[in-house]
Amino acid sequence: MNASATSAIAKVRRRPLSPEDRATFFFLLPIMVVFAVLTLVPLLSSVYYSLTDYNGFSTDFNMVGLKNYVTIFSEPELLHSLGFTLLFAVSTTLLITVLALPLAVTLNKQFYGRSLARSLFFFLGIPAQAILGLIWRQIFSPMKSGIFNQILDLFTIPPIPWTSDDHWAQFCVIFVGVWMGVGWHATLYLAYMQAIPADLYEQSLIDGANSRQQFIHITLSQLVPAIVVSTFLIMTGNLKVYDLPFTLTAGGPRNATMTITQAILLRGTGQSQYGVGSALAVLFTIVCLLLVTIQQIVASAIQRRFE
Amino acid sequence: MIESRANTVPRKIVRTIVTLGSAILCALPLYYVIVSSFKTSVDMTKHPFALPTEWTFANYAQAVADGSIWTAFLNTLIVTVFGVILQVAVGSLAAYAMVLKKNWLTVGMGAVLTLAFCIPVQSTLLPLYKMEGTLGIVDSLPGLIVLYLADSAFCYYLIVGYMRKLPTELFEAARVDGASPFRIYWQIVLPLIRPILATVIVFQTLAVWNDFLRPSVFVSSAEKCTVVLQVYNAVNAFSTNWPLFMAITCIALAPVVVFFMFCQRWIVSGLVAGAVKG
Repeated sequence: MNASATSAIAKVRRRPLSPEDRATFFFLLPIMVVFAVLTLVPLLSSVYYSLTDYNGFSTDFNMVGLKNYVTIFSEPELLHSLGFTLLFAVSTTLLITVLALPLAVTLNKQFYGRSLARSLFFFLGIPAQAILGLIWRQIFSPMKSGIFNQILDLFTIPPIPWTSDDHWAQFCVIFVGVWMGVGWHATLYLAYMQAIPADLYEQSLIDGANSRQQFIHITLSQLVPAIVVSTFLIMTGNLKVYDLPFTLTAGGPRNATMTITQAILLRGTGQSQYGVGSALAVLFTIVCLLLVTIQQIVASAIQRRFE
Repeated sequence: MIESRANTVPRKIVRTIVTLGSAILCALPLYYVIVSSFKTSVDMTKHPFALPTEWTFANYAQAVADGSIWTAFLNTLIVTVFGVILQVAVGSLAAYAMVLKKNWLTVGMGAVLTLAFCIPVQSTLLPLYKMEGTLGIVDSLPGLIVLYLADSAFCYYLIVGYMRKLPTELFEAARVDGASPFRIYWQIVLPLIRPILATVIVFQTLAVWNDFLRPSVFVSSAEKCTVVLQVYNAVNAFSTNWPLFMAITCIALAPVVVFFMFCQRWIVSGLVAGAVKG
């Protein structure tokens, strides 16, 4: 280390704390406390208990190493809950985006009752997921009296075992997830579309572009930032899904629609496998961080291409 | 849109039929809930889609009979108001620190908070339950409010993007005039960030009001129930009385509808114009 570098460091050290520096500390204090108490300490405690055979109440427990993690990978039920959570998050992200974009374009055109149509679509994403799940449970009832089965009956189609069949139940949960999200995200796109300069469209008309070309070359490329925000919100929100499948199918039949959250709660509280529950929680955190990172990398790559 | 060709009356009519039609189709479950709440059980099974053969308010009378739904409303209101105010206060203070001065603390916390935003509450639920159990605040409204503070990181994330675009000369001028950092926050920054505050408040009000996960884990006694939990419990309690469930659902959704009508324009507006860097 040469002399000038040493003196530079000394200068930094000698510099007194400015009032601003002190102020930043006080302004950050509440969020540091909140983060430490509600996120960091619980997360570290999850990591610790994930390495033990703790059952949730007994004070007598042992370190078992990675045994709980091995358990997760050897129990199909637990792996399945992780799989369904990922399936739900990824498929709703794709489906909502593919449907919301054209819907937003349509809602942006002129027609009668436009604000009513906008509000109706938007509102579907507003009530509690748990309440919507309960409503749809009635509609998707696998019994002959179920609403959808009665409609099928009108066309003399035999009843479908909606929520009592593994694959149909997964379909139902994803269907309702998309139903709730499309209008909400179309509204988000609509808001962004108001910022697209109108002369872009005028210019393209002069150049003889048709409406499909306009959609692809102007609307879509101008909406890239909106797509990034929207998919980010759906992905992070829907990885945390719990309320909807829990109320619609209760995770059944035979754990077909069990989410990772439900599995954590079941193991950690109901089945006295606090260690396994904690290991699931840790694994889930890693998966979330990974997915969000991947999403960010892909998003910024796409954004660079369109700049 | 300036294309006049695309806005002829026949085109508008076709568009109206397709778009408004699919909107109404999508909203049919809500229609079903509303009409069913005015029917008897028999009427509901016999004519599920028709208007009630005879309008009955018995379901509503039964739904409010024991008064528990009002308690649930009050609980939810208390939790939502305190939860959201605290989240927004903590989040906006932190965001202000970020633009106030760049030093090792703000840079470090900025990175930590971005990470914190991605850690799902699910992975901290078991230890939080244990923690609240030790403190004796499980199954209490303050215990629930504390949990929602974890969303401060999300509020911070939305607010800081907006704040970074404010002209720093405004703070500088106030600082030269001798205003303390807190006074600048309170008198200059907060009024300036009103648009994003409106979005964050509306967004988080819905999130807290609608939450089911945390009440269902942390609340066990009936008198501490939130509205959503109350509706869920009602389904299990009256598993065969669907019209009663529909009436309770309508009562539970009524405030959400009113809130939506007044606040819908703020829900997404703050997410636009680069407020969020995805």
